[in-house]
Amino acid sequence: MGLKIIDDFPGVAMKVPGGSVMLGVMDAVINWARANSLWPLSFGTSCCAIEMLMATGAPHQDMARFGAEVARPSPRQADLLVVAGTIVKRMAPTLRTLYEQMAEPRYVMATGACAISGGPFIYNNYSVVRGADEIIPVDVYVPGCPPRPEAFFYALLTLQRMIRSGDSLKSRHVHKRPVMSALPAGITVADIQEELRDLLERDSAVDVEKEAAAGPWAGKGYC
Amino acid sequence: MTVQAYTLDDLVKRLDPQATEGASQQYFLNLGPQHPAAHGVLRVMLFLDGETVVRAIPVLGYIHRGIEKMGESLSTRQFIHLTDRLDYLSALMNNWAVARTVEKAAGIEVSPRAEWIRTIMAELQRLQSHLLWLGVLGMDLGAFTPFLWGFRDREELTYIFEETIGARLTMNYVLPGGVMSDIHPEFAARVKKYVAYIRPKIAEYEALLSGNVILEERLRNIGRLSAEDAVSIGATGPVLRASGVALDLRKASPYGAYDKLEFQVPVGTVGDSWDRYWVRFEEMRQSIAMIEQLLGGIPEGPHMSVKPAVKVKLPEGVHYGQLETARGILGVFIAAAGGSDVPYRIHLRSPTFNNLWSVTRLAPGWRIADLVAILTTLDLVIPDIER
Repeated sequence: MGLKIIDDFPGVAMKVPGGSVMLGVMDAVINWARANSLWPLSFGTSCCAIEMLMATGAPHQDMARFGAEVARPSPRQADLLVVAGTIVKRMAPTLRTLYEQMAEPRYVMATGACAISGGPFIYNNYSVVRGADEIIPVDVYVPGCPPRPEAFFYALLTLQRMIRSGDSLKSRHVHKRPVMSALPAGITVADIQEELRDLLERDSAVDVEKEAAAGPWAGKGYC
Repeated sequence: MTVQAYTLDDLVKRLDPQATEGASQQYFLNLGPQHPAAHGVLRVMLFLDGETVVRAIPVLGYIHRGIEKMGESLSTRQFIHLTDRLDYLSALMNNWAVARTVEKAAGIEVSPRAEWIRTIMAELQRLQSHLLWLGVLGMDLGAFTPFLWGFRDREELTYIFEETIGARLTMNYVLPGGVMSDIHPEFAARVKKYVAYIRPKIAEYEALLSGNVILEERLRNIGRLSAEDAVSIGATGPVLRASGVALDLRKASPYGAYDKLEFQVPVGTVGDSWDRYWVRFEEMRQSIAMIEQLLGGIPEGPHMSVKPAVKVKLPEGVHYGQLETARGILGVFIAAAGGSDVPYRIHLRSPTFNNLWSVTRLAPGWRIADLVAILTTLDLVIPDIER
């Protein structure tokens, strides 16, 4: 007689002579349970919220297939913080608070270009935080503006794989390195940030007086 | 700059001088910025007496992305892609508003086919936006079925948009002089099939919601906005029309192909939550009727009158253009210095910004649960308010 738990965890759960089941390592069972019952915290600030949190929960793309349909508005009941949308400087402390209020183990998914890097609002802008990872540690990045629901599911499966393979009971609170679900092999977020650093520093400082005197509208009485 | 710190008692006294000290149950409550009924990151400061709202003050800035300021560094052609992210549920109509202003300023002709494509896409999106609103309304009032039904039917429209435009939500489709690409060969057939599908569904929603006693109790006579108040606040769209003012730019100053269409402008009587609900419901029916009329005659011709010019130089001066999005009048104000495609200043008169401030008049006297019903019938999209 085959038991499902034995089939699912070869080498971890095994039959002992006499008929009862013995669990070799509890970590695998706990991680399996965690990975398949992620409760997301719906933190939608803008456009991505429609695609990431609402369309995915709706009939056509059904998030319940992955065991993650129980969207909670309270951080204390959630495992997965889905950052869906732009984070502006005024919202940043709230995001940090929400993350701190979540119970361990907690995972963060940055969905959309804005949550990854600031997206379309990276240049010529004074109010947008350049990526959620400037405020909280991010586990999975989902590219797109906004990403398709399929991209969200791929990221969810990536996170589940990550949870199943990592984070043991012995070394708690140790997160694995962020998984880039879409970048080519060998390229990390740090590489991209390093490449853009000069550009971003130059862009973030604007001499207002100089700009006003140099523009095509200077001296035309619009100021 | 000095920052004055207030205690809670100070705040209550400062904002509500009539508050009697210690006698009543005065509370202060923040609704949002992270709240499931706040539709994003809206924060409303509530001064409560027990559970009754004494005063409601919306607080903004939690998704202020500085889009108007960015418009001063980008050409109008580049700026259009940012307007998708304003009111993302009427992305295409936002594009159209900027494109219209630029066309009017630079004197660009638009072919009848392009106008036809814009009009039918705008009506499809209005229908899509109202379907989402219907789902959210149900969810905010405690029913989950409308959400599932609304999204089921909305998703079909998303597929239709994706087939022609290539994007599901942020479309960037309309640009000065026409539209980005011609319609898909299957487009007309698909829309026809969808119209036949959605028509009985609207009747089904009506059977589910409009006759529902709970919904009626939650909406009828709650949050009455008088016509004078609506006009003085500057409310537009379904919020204004629910209060009895029949202002619809599609009728009042037709643009696109609207002058060739026959449709009614649904107008409410008392301006309560129920009227706002009913006006949007009727607008869905009118949109379907318009789409059917538009399918009757597709004009031949190019979808783009001029070669898509990256640089559209605007003449010096101040230009204004407006149109009716799913939430009201979106006005685009462009001050151009001349000789450049980068405007000196862009200002957007967004419909939801004005509609939001009706909360200050609607909320006092109602319970918190009623405030949620009022907020959801105002149909707010927060990034459109903050810009």
